[in-house]
Amino acid sequence: MIPALHNLQFLQPKLLPLAMVDHHHADPVAFPIAHAIEAMSWAGWILWLPMISLVLCGACAALRIRNKLPAIITVLSLAGSFFVTLLLYLNYHEPVTIHLFEWFNIAVGDGNSFVAAFSLYVDKLTLLWMLFVTGLSCLIALYASEYMEADLKSGYARFFAGVSVFVFAMSSLVMGDNLLMLYLGWEGVGFASYWLIGYYYQKPSAVAAAKKAFIVNRIGDLGLALGLYLTWHHFGTIQYTEIFAAIQHGVDAEHGETGGWYIKYIPFMLMLGAFGKSAQLPLYVWLPDAMEGPTPVSALIHAATMVTAGVYLLCRMYPLLEALHPLALPTVAWIGGLTALLAATIGMAQFDIKRIMAYSTVSQLGYMFLGVGVMTTYGGAYHVFTHAFFKAVLFLTCGAIMHGFAGQLDLRKVSGLTKMPGWRIVSWTMFYACLCLVGFPYISSGFYSKDMIMAQAFISHGPGFTALGVIALVTALMTAYYTFRVWFRVCLGPVQYEMGDEHHGDDEHGDDHHGHDKPHAPRWAINTTLLIITLGAIASIVLYYTHWGQDMVAGSSAGGGVPSAHHGETHGFWDDPHTWMPWVASITTVVGIIIAWFFHLAKREAADQLKAILLANPIIRWLPTAMENKWYVDELYHAVIRAPLWIGGHILYWLDMNLLDFAIVDGIAHLPRWLGRAFRPLHNGILQSYAVSMAGGIGLVALLVLFMPRILQWLGGGG
Amino acid sequence: MTTVLATELLTVLTLNQYLLVSAVLFTVGLVGFLARRNLIVMFLCTELMFQAGAIAFIAFSRFHLEVSGQVFVIFILTVAAAEAALALALVVLLYRRKETLNAELWSELRE
Amino acid sequence: MLAALLIILPLLGGLLVLIAPPQRAKHVTLAVSSVVFVYSVVLAFIFGPHWGTDEFALTGAVTWLDGIGITISLGADSVSLLLVLLTTLLMPLCIWGSFTAITDRLREYYGWMMLLQAAMTGVFLARDLIFFYICFEFTLVPMYFLIALYGGSNRARACVKFFIYTFTGSMITLAGLLYIAWRYAEIAGFWSFDIAQLTSFAVDGLNNYPGLSQYEQAWILLALMAGFAVKVPLFPLHTWLPLAHTEAPTAGSVILAAVLLKLGTYGLYRFVLPMVPLAVVEYAPLIAVIAIIGVLYAALICWVQRDVKKLIAYSSVSHLGFCVLGLFALNPLGVQGSVMYMLNHGLSTGALFFLVGMIYERYHTRDMTQMSGLARRMPVWAFFMVFFVLSSVGLPGLNGFISEFLCLIGAFTASGDAGAYPGVLGPWYAAIAALGMVVAAMYLLIMVGKVVFGPLKEPAVHHSTGEQSHLPADLTLREIGVLVPLAVLCVYIGFQPRTFTGAMEGSIEGVLAEYPATVRQQQILQQADLPHFDNAGLVLTMPESTDIGEVNHDG
Repeated sequence: MIPALHNLQFLQPKLLPLAMVDHHHADPVAFPIAHAIEAMSWAGWILWLPMISLVLCGACAALRIRNKLPAIITVLSLAGSFFVTLLLYLNYHEPVTIHLFEWFNIAVGDGNSFVAAFSLYVDKLTLLWMLFVTGLSCLIALYASEYMEADLKSGYARFFAGVSVFVFAMSSLVMGDNLLMLYLGWEGVGFASYWLIGYYYQKPSAVAAAKKAFIVNRIGDLGLALGLYLTWHHFGTIQYTEIFAAIQHGVDAEHGETGGWYIKYIPFMLMLGAFGKSAQLPLYVWLPDAMEGPTPVSALIHAATMVTAGVYLLCRMYPLLEALHPLALPTVAWIGGLTALLAATIGMAQFDIKRIMAYSTVSQLGYMFLGVGVMTTYGGAYHVFTHAFFKAVLFLTCGAIMHGFAGQLDLRKVSGLTKMPGWRIVSWTMFYACLCLVGFPYISSGFYSKDMIMAQAFISHGPGFTALGVIALVTALMTAYYTFRVWFRVCLGPVQYEMGDEHHGDDEHGDDHHGHDKPHAPRWAINTTLLIITLGAIASIVLYYTHWGQDMVAGSSAGGGVPSAHHGETHGFWDDPHTWMPWVASITTVVGIIIAWFFHLAKREAADQLKAILLANPIIRWLPTAMENKWYVDELYHAVIRAPLWIGGHILYWLDMNLLDFAIVDGIAHLPRWLGRAFRPLHNGILQSYAVSMAGGIGLVALLVLFMPRILQWLGGGG
Repeated sequence: MTTVLATELLTVLTLNQYLLVSAVLFTVGLVGFLARRNLIVMFLCTELMFQAGAIAFIAFSRFHLEVSGQVFVIFILTVAAAEAALALALVVLLYRRKETLNAELWSELRE
Repeated sequence: MLAALLIILPLLGGLLVLIAPPQRAKHVTLAVSSVVFVYSVVLAFIFGPHWGTDEFALTGAVTWLDGIGITISLGADSVSLLLVLLTTLLMPLCIWGSFTAITDRLREYYGWMMLLQAAMTGVFLARDLIFFYICFEFTLVPMYFLIALYGGSNRARACVKFFIYTFTGSMITLAGLLYIAWRYAEIAGFWSFDIAQLTSFAVDGLNNYPGLSQYEQAWILLALMAGFAVKVPLFPLHTWLPLAHTEAPTAGSVILAAVLLKLGTYGLYRFVLPMVPLAVVEYAPLIAVIAIIGVLYAALICWVQRDVKKLIAYSSVSHLGFCVLGLFALNPLGVQGSVMYMLNHGLSTGALFFLVGMIYERYHTRDMTQMSGLARRMPVWAFFMVFFVLSSVGLPGLNGFISEFLCLIGAFTASGDAGAYPGVLGPWYAAIAALGMVVAAMYLLIMVGKVVFGPLKEPAVHHSTGEQSHLPADLTLREIGVLVPLAVLCVYIGFQPRTFTGAMEGSIEGVLAEYPATVRQQQILQQADLPHFDNAGLVLTMPESTDIGEVNHDG
């Protein structure tokens, strides 16, 4: 096997000297910056087609069209988007910006303007992302056309409109040539996610999950917005081309070009945005809940595409991260590594297969961040790419199971899927996707991408990067365990199942056409989609050997993070992590699979026994409990953030009503009345008493007049 | 001495003497107004105070050889006449309501 | 006198309503207000070349009280014309929207609406201080009656509070404005209430008189803020607003939120910023802090509301905090954002009040705990509700985002070292205010989650009152017609803000003309204040020379 490994190594080209990667204050990495061109405005159709689809789906909803028209429209327009992207890829020569129309253009004095146009920044990174975004969206929309058919009477058009919005927003996020357009897409995909998570809007848990996703994302968006303001403040522009030019020109990290001390916070603010969108610590809590949405949505938005927006942002802004603060990338790496570990521990203890997949997504996103953080944007981006395919397959198979078993998602309640008629494609595509997820040696795409990240953690020098590599390996073990736990439980073993109780969110039409007593196997749309995406996952291995992915990243703003494996000077097996990592990782993976095999296929009762033993031990009892309860992070956030604010709101409202409005405002308004009350006894209705007070008053005035000079004199003397 | 003074007092009337009369008249009116409860008597008392004012006006008018004081008196008399007409009518009406002229029983305007 | 027709037509409409049969009143006013709207659009075209400049056009004047220089003079620059357009657009919609809601005293209702429109338009068009003030105050009268006659159960208290609170504030404002006019009369020898003249007098002075001193300006600022801040309303002067909003009839709330609150911010824009720059530079941080407190304070209060209308009322307080923050950023981005905020808040909050009104008309309640999942029963309504909530939350691609973003980036970059327009705020102001974005998403989405989504629960309609609605479950075409123009504008502004920002550029530059110099001067003064004798009383330490001092030490 060792010669094969050397072959593998041999395939990795030299790109950049290692020294350049290790030193943050090295000369900024030169990469080609886009220039504006007049032609190719047809690329705008990548955005317009989903927009048109949105309008048409909206029209379908308004006209109460009850057939599959919205799905057809959406699939066609997304396919159109994909082909336009493909055309763009085939016509690609060098990074360009393509102007579509003006958006913001405000003079800010001194002849400067705040400009943010609807323009596309097309470089290879853009294309890499857009290819899988539009391609997968189209396929998943096809899948959904069958998956969502139970809702033909209620929300079919609404669903596809949401998918269209998502693709529009995601395209503007990826293709925008400035941070504001990215922000538009950023919030846009957040909104699409809100829309689609809350698709079953009568289900309180779905509504709550949608709300949570939007609000948690808003916290991240806040970071992104502040990063944007800071960028504008310091660079006087938010357009990538100009920012990159400034960076290449050289920005002093200590003072910044314009002298502000806070320029170094730009990377951290952008990072906060990325952590929110890509579900990293501390903002990952929304993603598992987002599984309340229909499964195609989970596959498309919450696994394959939207959640990788954070990685995209970091790749796009990689030069800034590298140049502006020495701790920026290590922070990314640590957050990524810890998220990967934490999510994996939670994933091991869940029973809902979709939720397990959600945590595995969080965990894999952690790997991607780790990759970017340890300065292999190539590893990060490539993992995004491979992950998009195999995770989409995993979710879609979960969805098929859920669809066929009326919402059953508990891995203890479905077993032996491979032996059921009509489920073969589902189980074996799922098997392959599981192999990819755990990174099974050589035959899975995940192996290559994850390997690259883990090896780089041992190569790059940074605070605790070696520890991060070890954490990544441990996480890989856990990943192997929990992934195959699912597969062994659900697809192998004796044929047993228990139907779920779902009505596809359509509780007014209880007469669901396919009953709830026996599972119904997926039909052509679902199976075709699964096969195509699985083929895509297999194909991404080929892309590794042909260096395609590497080329795609190297020519872009993330090019600074395409490390070379250290060639020629290898003295021994342990000197180069790229040499030993495949071995170590493979062994880890296989061990994890064997453990899963033992507990979840060979001796299923052993898992329960182990759990019982663990729970019986008072010292470690908390561990499985805490893992099953997701480390109580939701509860912690609720207690520390939400509850105090909510109580604060009540207190403020009380103060507003009683102190501010009643005591102060009404108090001042009542002052004249209280004064009047003091004189009230004078008005007793007795004529003579009026006369007395009148006479007394006259007397008083007379006395005053008489003695005024003297009083004044006295006052003057006294003063 | 005393007779001379007395005759002087009686024959040469000074401004002060007029003002004294006016003051006495006003005080009588005021005390009457405050002390009595009969509406008609109270009304008469106000008339007394009016006339006290009128006397003062005339005295000053003569003293300063200035007619405008006397003009004012004519106004006062006119107003007093109008008032008398109104007030007595009111008193009569009030009397019809409660069959009494006691002012204390009328206190509806109390706060 | 092209502009005068904008005021005269509604007045005539008001008269026409009084002689029309009651059942025709709504049609008459709808026709008149639509004509006025069309006319205002025509005026916008006539205004043509003046868009984007700081010139006043459509001017005209009639002497009124010649002896003391009071005229009725009208004119519009781009910002005021935009606000006029907002008013003329919303008025027909409000009238159309009240077709079924108002069932008795029809003539008075529509008459007051017409009068209100005349007064509001007058405020935006006035070029004479006294005429401005008269219109400014006169808006209270129709609004008072709209609340008092057509309001909810607590309307008596609401209308009195609304009237007295805002009136008290404006009296102080009048005092401040009169002080400027009085000083002018002293120096110039004759009275004038021309706003342009007084502004230039206050800033640049006249006949060797150097303009108002900083001390005078500070007091004038206080006086002007007293009225305008109540109107905006700025925390802590906002308590009349939730009450007035909840009690007012739907159209009243819409007008109140969309236009009447803008009179306050327009006042800040038209009077405070241009007239008292020295004081503004000195006190902008304080005002900004108050605005930010308002943003967060009202947002948190929104969170715990049960009455949807009250929630939206408090959200106005929160939103207008952003608006004021942007204004006092004193740079083009912030002020652009602020003026855009005036328009956008009018559109989206106005629409939200319409939507709440539609619910109230059907169920006679606005209590969030009594209803849920209305999307099931009223999908069209739910669509618009979510749409305008998103616009209010500031979703990019819709209008709310444009203004919120500009206000925040304006405040963020309003630090002393900013290039062409140095400011007196800075990143922290924007960073803290931006938290309001998160809380806004929280309270609005929680409201949507409760009312629009979730399992269907309809409030029991009070049959006993015999007020059961004759409206169908979902929106009628009329109601959709009211909302669609607003929604279209929201999307248009979201993608083409340039139409508006470009139009206002000149006016805003004019308003900000004094500021770069004033801020720099203030900075120099502050630096001059800072040097001090240290304890030894020997070494004069300048702040910027500390580095050198340290170097010397080391050497």
